[in-house]
Amino acid sequence: MNLFTRPMKLLTAVVLEQTSDAVVRALLALGVLDFVHINKLDPQQMERLSSRPSTISRSALEDMRHRVEALLKQGHITIPAADTLDVKRVETPQLEQYKQQIDALSASLLSLKEKQKDSNQQLMSLEELRRYILEDKGEYLDLRLGELTHGKAEDLMLKISGFGGLMEPVAGTEKFISLTLRRDVSQVDPLLEKFGWVESSDVELQRQALLLIKTRLDEEHSKALKKRGAIEQEVDAVVASHQVQLYAIWSNLRLNELCDQIKSYFAYTRNTTLFSGWVPTDQAMLVEKAIKEASEGQCVIEWTEASSMPREQVPVAMTSPKALAPFQKIVNNYSTPEYGTVNPTIFVMVAYLSMFGLMFADVGQGLVLLLVGLMGSHSYKTHPLKPDGMLSRNVTSLLVYLGLSSMVFGALFGSYFGLPLLPALWFNYEAAVAGHSQGSLVNDVYGILGITIRFGIIIIYTGLVLNWVNLIRKKAYLTLFLDKNGLLGGLLFGIGLFMGFGFVRSGYRTFPSQSWVAPVVTVSLFLLFARGFISYFLSVRKGGERHEISHVILDSVMEFLVDVLEIFTGYLSNTLSFMRVAGLGIAHASLMESFKQLSSMMDGFGGVAIFILGNVLVIVLEGLSAGIQSLRLNYYEFFSRYFTGKGVAYEPVGLSNTRSEKR
Amino acid sequence: MSKDPVSVYGFINAKLRAKIGLMRQSRIIEDLLKAASLVEAVSVLRDSPYHALAEAYDQTGDLQQMEYVLLEMEIAMYREVASYLEGKSATFVNHLLGKIEVDNLKNSIRLWYSSIIRGRPIRYRSGYLYKQTILHPIDWTAMVNATGWETLLKALGQSPYEGILKEYTEQDLQKDGLFSLESKLDGFWYEHMLSGIQTLSRQDREVASAIFAVEVDLKNLLTLARYGWYHRMEGSALRTLLLPWGKVAESKETERYIQAPVDDRDPVALINRFAGGLEQDSPFVQRGSIHSEETSVLENLKIEDYLEKRRHALYRKMLSSDPFTIALALSYFFLNKEESSMIKAILNGKYYGYDEAYIRGVIG
Repeated sequence: MNLFTRPMKLLTAVVLEQTSDAVVRALLALGVLDFVHINKLDPQQMERLSSRPSTISRSALEDMRHRVEALLKQGHITIPAADTLDVKRVETPQLEQYKQQIDALSASLLSLKEKQKDSNQQLMSLEELRRYILEDKGEYLDLRLGELTHGKAEDLMLKISGFGGLMEPVAGTEKFISLTLRRDVSQVDPLLEKFGWVESSDVELQRQALLLIKTRLDEEHSKALKKRGAIEQEVDAVVASHQVQLYAIWSNLRLNELCDQIKSYFAYTRNTTLFSGWVPTDQAMLVEKAIKEASEGQCVIEWTEASSMPREQVPVAMTSPKALAPFQKIVNNYSTPEYGTVNPTIFVMVAYLSMFGLMFADVGQGLVLLLVGLMGSHSYKTHPLKPDGMLSRNVTSLLVYLGLSSMVFGALFGSYFGLPLLPALWFNYEAAVAGHSQGSLVNDVYGILGITIRFGIIIIYTGLVLNWVNLIRKKAYLTLFLDKNGLLGGLLFGIGLFMGFGFVRSGYRTFPSQSWVAPVVTVSLFLLFARGFISYFLSVRKGGERHEISHVILDSVMEFLVDVLEIFTGYLSNTLSFMRVAGLGIAHASLMESFKQLSSMMDGFGGVAIFILGNVLVIVLEGLSAGIQSLRLNYYEFFSRYFTGKGVAYEPVGLSNTRSEKR
Repeated sequence: MSKDPVSVYGFINAKLRAKIGLMRQSRIIEDLLKAASLVEAVSVLRDSPYHALAEAYDQTGDLQQMEYVLLEMEIAMYREVASYLEGKSATFVNHLLGKIEVDNLKNSIRLWYSSIIRGRPIRYRSGYLYKQTILHPIDWTAMVNATGWETLLKALGQSPYEGILKEYTEQDLQKDGLFSLESKLDGFWYEHMLSGIQTLSRQDREVASAIFAVEVDLKNLLTLARYGWYHRMEGSALRTLLLPWGKVAESKETERYIQAPVDDRDPVALINRFAGGLEQDSPFVQRGSIHSEETSVLENLKIEDYLEKRRHALYRKMLSSDPFTIALALSYFFLNKEESSMIKAILNGKYYGYDEAYIRGVIG
């Protein structure tokens, strides 16, 4: 893992045009080049170059690929994964041929679906009859027993089925049972009449008629249900039989899209192709070797160090171990750090877990979070295609860490599902909250508040130190010394803390009256005031724009006032903001105490149920609150000290990563 | 004591705005339009909030079954919003759900009419009818199985629609069809809804009244164009179709339009009088002395499309109004309904094999 963002190099390469396709494939297979569009090159260089329109429309490739994906989805077949793509197999896409194949498959599926619809409608008719029998709604049914005197029974059966009805011969007799809906009686009557239907007066048979026809109805219903399901399976089978073909088409389309995407960054002279892009320094040799091999050595490769380029143009790549992925996500959600600055992931991890643990300290509840996280992660691992639920992949991974943190802090504070099963390794949090802790390191809520304030000071100073490291790396020495987040800001914050703690130590009566305080603050404020002028002077010396002196004075005064305000109120509010850590922790302990008392009021199962329910409530609600508050403290109190978020993310074009097309 | 608007609408505001945001980002309609066939269109729905439709298609292959699922989703949406509200606001949302009940009632009566009056067996078609209770305890199964008008009326139980249906006899329906009855049911819903507005809090009443005043005017303009001009309906019959509220119904221009001979009626002038911009919005083919059928259809479609756009603009505007009123819920219902209607139209278009451009033209 790099403590800083990965060092980058800018590649500029020229290859012969006849080898450019091979180079494209090689670069795609490597997938480490974040291309720079030709229009971002030097205008003089641009004049000698031209871009070429693609021979195939990328949107046509995309549309066709979406069609293939739609058919695969209809057959409940997964879309091929990016790692199945093999650049060696890329061919010129035969769009017309693909279209014919996809159209033919689509048509055969539609025809099956039409049959399935007919089958469904037949099923619905039978279901209606069946439901009325089961719900004893005989008033909607028209059940008859009789004989035919004209025509063929098969013809009448067919016509009856046209009304959604059924006709069944009674075994061993000439009689038939007809079951239709009473609402259709005005059409069924003339029909039966046409076939010379004569009602039977066999009372015994009449009694059995419903049972007999119901048996047939159940059979027909089951048959129709099976038929409809069979068609659904047939649809899947038809798509499955085309799977190899569809996968091949999909892969070729995807590869062509990616190749086309890479080519869109290329510029051309008559015989050569030029391209440029950013590569992590540790991958540079690999890229150079791949280009040389693909171009058979007929290439010119030039590397430019990132230090000679404007920092804001260099894409930022960060490497963190896979295990830190949830924290990397927290950083990414906020923004991208500047190139060459500290990679905040590990610091976020330590800060986030400490904050969470302090707010949600319990071994038992932490264990629950850990188990939920492990089970969720396992479930996603065994079902890689499962869409993210309320507990997404990232949240389940995060829960594992949060659970562990909660357990560690729980052991320190001696809380096991709110019960003091083992002695606290540090101090008993609940006892301190309740105010009956004796002889412990911390005896009351003020002690807890003091701990979280100190914790906040550590976090803020860590942020400041990281900022100073970043400024040194950026060679921004004026900012390092005289900015509100620079050494001067740190010094003023330190003086503020000295005064504050002194005030507390005096029993909230007097501030410390050391003689050095006033001169140091005065000099610091003067330096802060001078910063605007120094900055302007340095800028002019470097050839920057000159302004009227009145503007410079006004700007500097305004900047000074804002900085003073931010230093005095910002640092104070940021520090006090950490009291929420104590607040949440105290609320957690109080809630557990309340549930314990409630459960002790009831005997047996009731008490246990309240205890379990209380724990569940606390885990869900407090866990969520602690997670959100930790995030907030990281984003606002910690990041605001050192994280400018001005970086551009590194997005190479590869088989599995194509986000650079959005740039 | 009534709660303050922030307490009533705070939560629902955040929830619906998030949903509307997702709706706006959604590419479902565009992707559905681009799909080359129904099978491919259905795949667009698989990874969307409409995945239940795709599941219904997988199981049944039946487009109407998908529409049924869409209806269930719509009902669930109203109920969900009502569950987050309370008191008069929740009751009002239920009034709105009443429109679905009225439509369901019309569908049931159409099925009954087809079966008993026209003598065409409805077979499986009753399966697509929503048979659960929507607002009132109507026995939908009994309705479609009624062998006579009186039996059908009994199935309505104590629902408020009984009075309207009782005004008609089986002979009336046999002779004149269902059009008049259905228009009355629509009018009844509007009346019921407008009286529901009066029970709302002052802010809600003002917002809802403003919305529905425009809604009623647009509906009346649509009626005047569709029936008065396109279907060339005679004046007195046309007047009965108008909802008796709003500027359009009360204006002298409308009265002149109704009384004018059908060939002299000019819907464009009337629409521009109340909702100006029709010709500017879409170049309108002037109706000449030769009234070609195709021109009429196109012009009618343009008018309807224009009025729909006005409604759309109205509800969009409501999204930027006071967030702690019923307006947001009304906008959400409209946008949701608009999206589901489009999905229904596109799926039908794909089923019948129409191309993208044609469907795009129809859905506007």
